Amino acid sequence: MNIPSVVSFASAGVGAQRRLQPTRGSGPHGLTEDSQGQTDNAAVAPWKARLSCLQSSPWVAALTFHPAGHAPARWLPTEDSVNMAKEQHGTWFGFGFCGFGQVLGSGNGRHSVHSPEPLRASEDVCRVSASWSYTALVTRGGRVELSGSVSSSADGCRDAWASEGLLVVLRDKDGSSTELRAWTPSSALQGEPLWVQNLVSGADDPGEDEPSSETRASTLPLLPRAHAYVNPQPPFCQPLAPELRVRQLELGAEHVLMLCEAGQVFSWGGGRHGQLGHGTLEAELKPRLLEALQGLWMAEVAAGGWHSVCVSETGDIYIWGWNESGQLALPIRNPTEDKRVSRAELNEDCLEEEAAMTDLGAPAPFIAIQPFPALLDLPLGSDAVKASCGSRHTAVVTRTGELYTWGWGKYGQLGHKDSSSLDRPCRVEYFAEKQLQVRAVTCGPWNTYVYAVEREEI
Amino acid sequence: MLLGVVREDEKAGRGIFAPAEPVDASDEKYSPVRESERCMFLKPIYWLFGLIWFQGSEVAALVTQVLIMSEDTKGPTEPLVGSSTLWKDLRVLLPDTEEELKLELSEKVDRSLTMLLQQAVGLFYAGHWQECLQASEAILDYSWEKLNTGPWQDVDKEWRRVYSFGCLLKAMCLCQAPQKATAVAEALRVCDMGLLMGAAILGDILLKVVTVLQTHLLPGKQPARDPHQDEPFTKKTKCDSNAAPDVVLERAVPRLRCPTLQYFRKHFLVPGRPVILEGVADHWPCMRKWSLQYIQEVAGCRTVPVEVGSRYTDEDWSQTLMTVNEFIHKYILSEAKDVGYLAQHQLFDQVLGRKYIRLYSPQESEAVYPHETHLLHNTSQVDVENPNLDKFPKFAEAPFLSCILSPGETLFIPAKYWHYVRSLDLSFSVSFWWS
Repeated sequence: MNIPSVVSFASAGVGAQRRLQPTRGSGPHGLTEDSQGQTDNAAVAPWKARLSCLQSSPWVAALTFHPAGHAPARWLPTEDSVNMAKEQHGTWFGFGFCGFGQVLGSGNGRHSVHSPEPLRASEDVCRVSASWSYTALVTRGGRVELSGSVSSSADGCRDAWASEGLLVVLRDKDGSSTELRAWTPSSALQGEPLWVQNLVSGADDPGEDEPSSETRASTLPLLPRAHAYVNPQPPFCQPLAPELRVRQLELGAEHVLMLCEAGQVFSWGGGRHGQLGHGTLEAELKPRLLEALQGLWMAEVAAGGWHSVCVSETGDIYIWGWNESGQLALPIRNPTEDKRVSRAELNEDCLEEEAAMTDLGAPAPFIAIQPFPALLDLPLGSDAVKASCGSRHTAVVTRTGELYTWGWGKYGQLGHKDSSSLDRPCRVEYFAEKQLQVRAVTCGPWNTYVYAVEREEI
Repeated sequence: MLLGVVREDEKAGRGIFAPAEPVDASDEKYSPVRESERCMFLKPIYWLFGLIWFQGSEVAALVTQVLIMSEDTKGPTEPLVGSSTLWKDLRVLLPDTEEELKLELSEKVDRSLTMLLQQAVGLFYAGHWQECLQASEAILDYSWEKLNTGPWQDVDKEWRRVYSFGCLLKAMCLCQAPQKATAVAEALRVCDMGLLMGAAILGDILLKVVTVLQTHLLPGKQPARDPHQDEPFTKKTKCDSNAAPDVVLERAVPRLRCPTLQYFRKHFLVPGRPVILEGVADHWPCMRKWSLQYIQEVAGCRTVPVEVGSRYTDEDWSQTLMTVNEFIHKYILSEAKDVGYLAQHQLFDQVLGRKYIRLYSPQESEAVYPHETHLLHNTSQVDVENPNLDKFPKFAEAPFLSCILSPGETLFIPAKYWHYVRSLDLSFSVSFWWS
C-alpha cells in the first residue's frame, strides 16, 4: 500500500463550498454554471512557444524579437508604482528570519527579528526579492543589492529575482533592449553568468493587440512581454502560450500560479497539498483554469510554499492549499508537544487557551488541506489590495493601509513581537502605532518586507 | 476458476495449498532457526513500533518497527543512571574533533545550507550551545520543507541526511545542560523524528543516541499508570457481531513450524508467497514479558506514527505522531471515539489478540479495483467482507488466501500483496520491515 506522507484530510471540501460566495461587486459576478470563462482548451493552449529556440539550448538562448522598425513598447507603470514614485518618503521595513545576516532591520547579528524594523538601505528601494538565505533589493536608481549568504551589488538593473539555486537580474542594455542574466547566487554577480537572454522590447508581434493601458509592468519571475517565466530548476526559462495573456506569475515550492489579463487564475504543478485549487490532490502538467473562481475578477495572486492566495478587484481574499501552520487562516489541529513548548516560551496566553481546549477532551475540528478556494474575511470587513506569501505564512495589505499576517510564525515573520503561529488574520500593530500606512508587502520564505508611508493628515 | 488457478500453480511448482496443520518440527527441513540465521532473517534497521508512510515505495510502504528487547539492553529493573553521565555518554558518540566529523553532503544540497550546517558543527565543537541550537532549528525547518516538497520517493536522500544532522545537533544541544526536566524527553522525540524521516548518518549515530537517552530517562517523565491496566483484555474488546469468519481449507495460508532460513527463502521469500511461521516468535525474549505495562515502561516515551480512523479511505482518516504512552492512553485504555492503530507490513507478529487476514496476489490487482487517483492507487475500493458485487463483479471470483493470526504466530506477506486485516479482539501487533 502506498500512502502519502503525513497528511490529514478533514471535510474541507464541503465546508469550503459553503464559504465560497459571490463577491459584493455590482457587476454580474457569481458562480453560476453559465458564467463566462473559458474552460475549453482554447485558452489553455498547449506548450507552443514562438520561442522554439529555447527548447534546444536552455542555457544560452539568444532570444530576439524582430520589431521591424516599430516603436518600442511602452512600459506602462501600474497605479501602485506611480503612487510609490510620488511618495518618495516611504520606508521599507522587515521582520522574520535573518540568520544569514540578510538586511532586515538594524542588523544586530540576531537570528530573527520579531517586530518590524526599518531597513538600513542606502537608496530608495522599489522592489524586494527575498530568498531563504539572502535578499535582493532593487533601488529606483537601478541598483541591485544582495545581502545575507551573498553580499554584492550591481548597477543598471531594473528587476531581480532571488532563489537559493538561481539569481536572475533584468538589466537595461543600450537603447531599447533588455537583458536577462541568471547567476548562481554564490557567484555574487561576478564573472560570467550562467546564461544570458536578450529581450528586445520591440512592439508586439504582428497580430496581437496593443498593450492596454491597464497592463502592468510584469515582474519576475514573469519575463517582460509575458512570453516566458524563470524557473529555479532547469529548464530555467519556461515559455508561456501568448494566448494566455499572462499578467502575473508566482512560484510556490512545487506549483505555479498565474493571473491573466482577464482576471482569471490558472495553476499547475504538484498538487499534493491542494495548492492548485482544483479540488483534487492530483498534479497538473499544463495551466488549468480555476473553475471555482469563474466569474470573479482577480487583481493579484500570491503563492506560498504549498498554498495559494488571490485578491479580487473588489477586495476579497480567496485562499487554498496546505494549512499545517494556519497559513490559510483556517483552524489547525491542537498543537503537538513540540509547538506547545516553543510557544510557551514567548506567548503564555496562547498556551493557556490551547491547554483549556485539550482538557475538554473533545477534538476540535481542523482543516489541514483546503483543495479549492475558500473566501476569507478579514476582521472588520476590510478590503484587501495586496497579498504575498512566504513558505508557510501569508501577509495581506488592506485598502486602508493596514497589514494582516497569519500562518507560521516561528521566526517572527508575522511581526507580532513573538514567535507563535496563528491560524487567523491578525493586524500588525506596529504600523498602526507608528501612524504608518502600509502600501506593499513582499514575503521571503521565512520573513516579510513591508513598504509603508506616513499616514496623511486629514 | 479456482481450480484452474490451482493447477496452474502446481504446474509451476508453487502449489498454494499447503496443509493447514503445521509440519512437525522434528523434520530435518524444519530445524529451529539458528541464532545467526535469525539475525539475518530479521535484519531490521532499527526497531520501534509504529509506522512510516513512504509514498511510492513498494517494500517500504509501511515500515513498522519493533522495539527489540533483547537481554542486552538495560531494562527498567536496573537502577536508573543519573543525568550527570548523560552528557558524557552522548559526547563520546561523536568524533573528538570537528575535522573528524564528516558531513559528506552532495552538491544537491543548497550551498547556503551546507554552510549553515558546517557553521552549526563548528558552534557545537566550540561549545556555543545556544547558537548551535538556533542553527540546528533552521537546518531542521529548511530540510523539513524539502522533505515535504514533491512525492516522498523523489525526495533526495541527501535532504533526509541533512534532517538527521539537524536532529542530532539539536538533541545534543538539548542534553548539554538539561535545565528543564522535559529536555531529555524532547531530545528523544527529536531523535525519533530523525529516525522516522531522516536517513542514516555517521554510522547510524541516532540509534546510539536514542539508546543512551532512553536509559537516562527518569521515571517521573512518564505519565501515571492506570492501576487497572493489568487486565487489558477485559477492559475493551472489539468483537464484531459476526464472529470470526470460517477459513475455508483450500484457501488457507500455509503454515510452517520453525523452518530453516534457506527453506523459507527458497519456497516463500523468493517466489513471493505468503506463509505463517509458528514458533519463530519464541526466539524473541520480548515475547515472554510482553504486556501493555512493559511496553509503556520501555518504549512509552518513544514517538510513533499512528493512523486514526477505521479505514484510510474514510473522510476522517488521518495520521499523526504521538508517543507510545499517548497512544496507549488514548486508544487502548480510554473510550476513544476514533479507532487508532499501528499499521504493519510484511511480517505480522501477533502479541495480543487475533486478526483475520486476507491476502490477494498482485496478479489479482484488477479484481480488487484499486482507486484511480495516484494517491490511492494502492488501495482497493472494495469493502472486502461486504463487497458490492454489482459494482465490483470480478471481486467475487478473485482467489485469495486467508487466515486467523493468533498470538505467537508470524505472517510473512510478500511485497505488493493486497492485504486486508480485521481485528477480532483487542489486538496489538508488532511487526517489522526488512529487505
